[in-house]
Amino acid sequence: MNSSVENHISEKKDFVVSSSSLKDVRTFSREVFSKVNLNQDLKDELVLAIAEAAQNIVKHAYQNQETDDKMEIKISLDNGELEIGFFDKGRPVDNSNVRHRKIDDVKPGGLGTFFIKQIMDAVVFKEGEKPWINHLILTKKINHR
Amino acid sequence: MSYKVTEEDNVSIVHLDGEIDMDVTEKAKEVIMPLIEAKKEVHLNLKNVQYMDSSGISVLIESHQKATELGTKVILKDISKSVLKVIMMAKLEQILNLG
Repeated sequence: MNSSVENHISEKKDFVVSSSSLKDVRTFSREVFSKVNLNQDLKDELVLAIAEAAQNIVKHAYQNQETDDKMEIKISLDNGELEIGFFDKGRPVDNSNVRHRKIDDVKPGGLGTFFIKQIMDAVVFKEGEKPWINHLILTKKINHR
Repeated sequence: MSYKVTEEDNVSIVHLDGEIDMDVTEKAKEVIMPLIEAKKEVHLNLKNVQYMDSSGISVLIESHQKATELGTKVILKDISKSVLKVIMMAKLEQILNLG
Protein backbone atom coordinates (compact mmCIF):
# COMPACT_ATOMS: atom_id res chain seq x y z
CA MET A 1 0.00 0.00 0.00
CA ASN A 2 1.21 3.48 -0.80
CA SER A 3 2.17 5.06 2.53
CA SER A 4 1.33 8.54 1.20
CA VAL A 5 -2.32 7.52 0.79
CA GLU A 6 -4.59 8.43 3.71
CA ASN A 7 -7.59 6.61 5.05
CA HIS A 8 -8.64 9.39 7.35
CA ILE A 9 -9.68 12.71 5.86
CA SER A 10 -11.77 15.69 6.77
CA GLU A 11 -11.86 18.50 4.25
CA LYS A 12 -14.38 21.19 3.47
CA LYS A 13 -14.78 23.98 0.94
CA ASP A 14 -17.27 26.72 0.09
CA PHE A 15 -18.71 27.23 -3.39
CA VAL A 16 -20.97 29.92 -4.80
CA VAL A 17 -24.41 28.40 -5.38
CA SER A 18 -24.35 28.31 -9.18
CA SER A 19 -24.26 25.74 -11.96
CA SER A 20 -20.91 27.24 -12.93
CA SER A 21 -19.50 25.99 -9.60
CA LEU A 22 -20.21 22.33 -10.36
CA LYS A 23 -16.90 21.89 -12.15
CA ASP A 24 -15.10 23.25 -9.07
CA VAL A 25 -17.13 20.90 -6.86
CA ARG A 26 -15.92 17.96 -8.94
CA THR A 27 -12.33 19.20 -8.88
CA PHE A 28 -12.44 19.54 -5.08
CA SER A 29 -13.97 16.08 -4.69
CA ARG A 30 -11.43 14.47 -7.01
CA GLU A 31 -8.58 16.14 -5.13
CA VAL A 32 -9.88 14.87 -1.80
CA PHE A 33 -10.41 11.32 -3.09
CA SER A 34 -6.97 11.30 -4.71
CA LYS A 35 -5.60 11.16 -1.16
CA VAL A 36 -7.61 8.07 -0.31
CA ASN A 37 -6.98 4.45 -1.15
CA LEU A 38 -10.16 3.65 -3.08
CA ASN A 39 -11.01 1.96 -6.34
CA GLN A 40 -11.14 4.51 -9.19
CA ASP A 41 -14.66 3.43 -10.25
CA LEU A 42 -15.91 4.10 -6.72
CA LYS A 43 -14.16 7.48 -6.67
CA ASP A 44 -15.91 8.39 -9.94
CA GLU A 45 -19.28 7.35 -8.50
CA LEU A 46 -18.71 9.38 -5.34
CA VAL A 47 -17.77 12.45 -7.40
CA LEU A 48 -21.02 12.00 -9.37
CA ALA A 49 -23.08 11.70 -6.17
CA ILE A 50 -21.49 14.84 -4.72
CA ALA A 51 -21.99 16.83 -7.93
CA GLU A 52 -25.63 15.68 -8.15
CA ALA A 53 -26.30 16.78 -4.58
CA ALA A 54 -24.67 20.16 -5.26
CA GLN A 55 -26.75 20.46 -8.43
CA ASN A 56 -29.89 19.78 -6.38
CA ILE A 57 -29.01 22.73 -4.13
CA VAL A 58 -28.73 25.00 -7.20
CA LYS A 59 -31.92 23.66 -8.80
CA HIS A 60 -34.18 23.09 -5.82
CA ALA A 61 -33.00 24.98 -2.73
CA TYR A 62 -32.28 28.07 -4.87
CA GLN A 63 -34.60 27.26 -7.82
CA ASN A 64 -31.84 28.25 -10.29
CA GLN A 65 -31.90 31.83 -9.04
CA GLU A 66 -28.71 33.85 -9.11
CA THR A 67 -27.24 34.39 -5.67
CA ASP A 68 -24.04 35.34 -3.91
CA ASP A 69 -24.78 32.72 -1.25
CA LYS A 70 -22.33 29.93 -0.75
CA MET A 71 -22.82 26.26 -0.04
CA GLU A 72 -20.33 24.25 1.97
CA ILE A 73 -19.29 20.70 1.20
CA LYS A 74 -17.47 18.65 3.80
CA ILE A 75 -15.97 15.24 3.02
CA SER A 76 -14.96 13.09 5.98
CA LEU A 77 -13.64 9.57 6.08
CA ASP A 78 -12.93 7.85 9.35
CA ASN A 79 -12.61 4.18 10.10
CA GLY A 80 -14.22 3.17 6.78
CA GLU A 81 -17.21 5.50 7.22
CA LEU A 82 -17.50 8.11 4.52
CA GLU A 83 -19.70 11.10 5.35
CA ILE A 84 -20.35 13.94 2.94
CA GLY A 85 -22.13 16.97 4.31
CA PHE A 86 -23.81 19.70 2.27
CA PHE A 87 -24.82 22.97 3.92
CA ASP A 88 -26.86 25.68 2.25
CA LYS A 89 -28.99 28.72 3.06
CA GLY A 90 -31.66 28.18 0.41
CA ARG A 91 -35.32 27.28 0.64
CA PRO A 92 -35.91 24.71 3.40
CA VAL A 93 -36.04 21.21 1.97
CA ASP A 94 -39.17 19.22 2.72
CA ASN A 95 -37.79 15.71 3.10
CA SER A 96 -41.10 14.18 2.06
CA ASN A 97 -40.84 15.92 -1.34
CA VAL A 98 -37.39 14.51 -2.11
CA ARG A 99 -37.93 11.61 -4.45
CA HIS A 100 -36.73 10.50 -7.83
CA ARG A 101 -38.99 9.67 -10.73
CA LYS A 102 -39.91 6.07 -11.45
CA ILE A 103 -36.94 4.77 -13.37
CA ASP A 104 -39.08 3.04 -16.04
CA ASP A 105 -40.99 6.27 -16.70
CA VAL A 106 -38.39 7.52 -19.16
CA LYS A 107 -38.35 11.30 -19.37
CA PRO A 108 -35.77 14.04 -18.91
CA GLY A 109 -35.08 15.02 -15.31
CA GLY A 110 -35.48 13.41 -11.92
CA LEU A 111 -32.40 11.21 -12.14
CA GLY A 112 -29.99 13.05 -9.84
CA THR A 113 -31.55 11.82 -6.61
CA PHE A 114 -31.83 8.32 -8.12
CA PHE A 115 -28.07 8.32 -8.78
CA ILE A 116 -27.29 9.56 -5.28
CA LYS A 117 -29.41 6.83 -3.72
CA GLN A 118 -27.84 4.17 -5.93
CA ILE A 119 -24.32 5.24 -5.02
CA MET A 120 -24.64 6.05 -1.31
CA ASP A 121 -25.86 3.89 1.59
CA ALA A 122 -27.93 6.62 3.24
CA VAL A 123 -29.29 10.08 2.44
CA VAL A 124 -30.48 12.16 5.38
CA PHE A 125 -31.83 15.72 5.41
CA LYS A 126 -31.52 17.71 8.61
CA GLU A 127 -32.35 21.25 9.54
CA GLY A 128 -29.08 23.15 9.34
CA GLU A 129 -27.55 24.75 12.40
CA LYS A 130 -27.18 28.52 12.07
CA PRO A 131 -26.24 30.08 9.70
CA TRP A 132 -27.29 27.15 7.52
CA ILE A 133 -30.87 26.28 6.56
CA ASN A 134 -30.36 22.81 5.10
CA HIS A 135 -27.90 20.08 6.01
CA LEU A 136 -27.80 17.04 3.75
CA ILE A 137 -25.74 14.07 4.87
CA LEU A 138 -24.67 11.30 2.50
CA THR A 139 -22.97 8.28 4.02
CA LYS A 140 -21.33 5.15 2.71
CA LYS A 141 -19.39 2.34 4.30
CA ILE A 142 -16.12 2.05 2.45
CA ASN A 143 -14.18 -1.17 2.00
CA HIS A 144 -10.64 -0.13 1.29
CA ARG A 145 -8.96 -1.76 -1.67
CA MET B 1 -17.56 21.35 -23.25
CA SER B 2 -16.65 21.91 -26.86
CA TYR B 3 -18.14 20.39 -29.98
CA LYS B 4 -17.70 19.89 -33.71
CA VAL B 5 -20.44 19.05 -36.21
CA THR B 6 -19.70 17.22 -39.43
CA GLU B 7 -22.04 15.99 -42.18
CA GLU B 8 -21.80 12.65 -43.90
CA ASP B 9 -24.46 11.21 -46.25
CA ASN B 10 -27.30 13.21 -44.69
CA VAL B 11 -26.17 12.20 -41.20
CA SER B 12 -25.08 14.92 -38.80
CA ILE B 13 -22.26 13.81 -36.55
CA VAL B 14 -21.85 15.82 -33.36
CA HIS B 15 -18.51 15.25 -31.65
CA LEU B 16 -18.82 16.34 -28.03
CA ASP B 17 -15.73 16.93 -25.97
CA GLY B 18 -15.21 17.52 -22.24
CA GLU B 19 -17.56 17.28 -19.27
CA ILE B 20 -21.33 17.58 -19.67
CA ASP B 21 -23.13 18.91 -16.63
CA MET B 22 -26.02 21.25 -15.85
CA ASP B 23 -23.88 24.25 -16.76
CA VAL B 24 -23.53 23.22 -20.42
CA THR B 25 -26.76 21.36 -21.18
CA GLU B 26 -28.41 24.39 -22.81
CA LYS B 27 -25.40 24.76 -25.10
CA ALA B 28 -25.55 21.05 -25.96
CA LYS B 29 -29.29 21.29 -26.74
CA GLU B 30 -28.72 24.37 -28.92
CA VAL B 31 -26.35 22.28 -31.03
CA ILE B 32 -28.31 19.02 -31.18
CA MET B 33 -31.99 20.02 -31.30
CA PRO B 34 -31.95 22.06 -34.55
CA LEU B 35 -30.38 19.09 -36.33
CA ILE B 36 -33.15 16.81 -35.08
CA GLU B 37 -35.79 19.39 -35.96
CA ALA B 38 -34.34 19.41 -39.49
CA LYS B 39 -35.20 15.68 -39.41
CA LYS B 40 -31.63 14.62 -39.84
CA GLU B 41 -30.25 11.42 -38.40
CA VAL B 42 -27.90 12.55 -35.66
CA HIS B 43 -24.90 10.63 -34.36
CA LEU B 44 -23.54 11.83 -31.04
CA ASN B 45 -19.90 10.86 -30.73
CA LEU B 46 -19.17 10.59 -27.00
CA LYS B 47 -15.62 9.27 -27.21
CA ASN B 48 -14.15 12.38 -25.63
CA VAL B 49 -16.81 13.01 -22.99
CA GLN B 50 -15.09 12.14 -19.73
CA TYR B 51 -17.98 12.99 -17.42
CA MET B 52 -21.75 13.21 -17.75
CA ASP B 53 -24.25 13.82 -14.97
CA SER B 54 -28.03 13.50 -14.80
CA SER B 55 -28.45 16.76 -16.74
CA GLY B 56 -26.43 15.34 -19.61
CA ILE B 57 -28.47 12.14 -19.50
CA SER B 58 -31.60 14.31 -19.72
CA VAL B 59 -30.26 15.83 -22.95
CA LEU B 60 -29.79 12.33 -24.38
CA ILE B 61 -33.35 11.35 -23.40
CA GLU B 62 -34.84 14.58 -24.76
CA SER B 63 -32.92 14.21 -28.03
CA HIS B 64 -33.98 10.58 -28.41
CA GLN B 65 -37.63 11.37 -27.72
CA LYS B 66 -37.69 14.38 -30.06
CA ALA B 67 -36.10 12.35 -32.84
CA THR B 68 -38.59 9.52 -32.39
CA GLU B 69 -41.45 12.04 -32.48
CA LEU B 70 -40.14 13.48 -35.77
CA GLY B 71 -39.45 10.11 -37.38
CA THR B 72 -35.68 10.25 -37.27
CA LYS B 73 -33.13 8.94 -34.80
CA VAL B 74 -30.23 9.82 -32.56
CA ILE B 75 -27.48 7.21 -32.27
CA LEU B 76 -24.82 7.37 -29.56
CA LYS B 77 -21.40 6.44 -30.96
CA ASP B 78 -18.02 5.57 -29.41
CA ILE B 79 -19.42 6.01 -25.90
CA SER B 80 -16.70 6.53 -23.31
CA LYS B 81 -16.54 4.09 -20.40
CA SER B 82 -17.57 6.71 -17.87
CA VAL B 83 -20.61 7.84 -19.88
CA LEU B 84 -21.69 4.25 -20.56
CA LYS B 85 -21.58 3.60 -16.83
CA VAL B 86 -23.95 6.50 -16.16
CA ILE B 87 -26.28 5.41 -19.01
CA MET B 88 -26.42 1.95 -17.44
CA MET B 89 -26.94 3.38 -13.97
CA ALA B 90 -29.99 5.17 -15.42
CA LYS B 91 -31.07 1.86 -16.99
CA LEU B 92 -31.23 3.46 -20.44
CA GLU B 93 -29.04 1.07 -22.40
CA GLN B 94 -32.12 -0.65 -23.88
CA ILE B 95 -33.92 2.63 -24.56
CA LEU B 96 -31.35 4.89 -26.20
CA ASN B 97 -29.78 3.85 -29.52
CA LEU B 98 -26.24 2.75 -28.74
CA GLY B 99 -24.31 2.24 -31.97
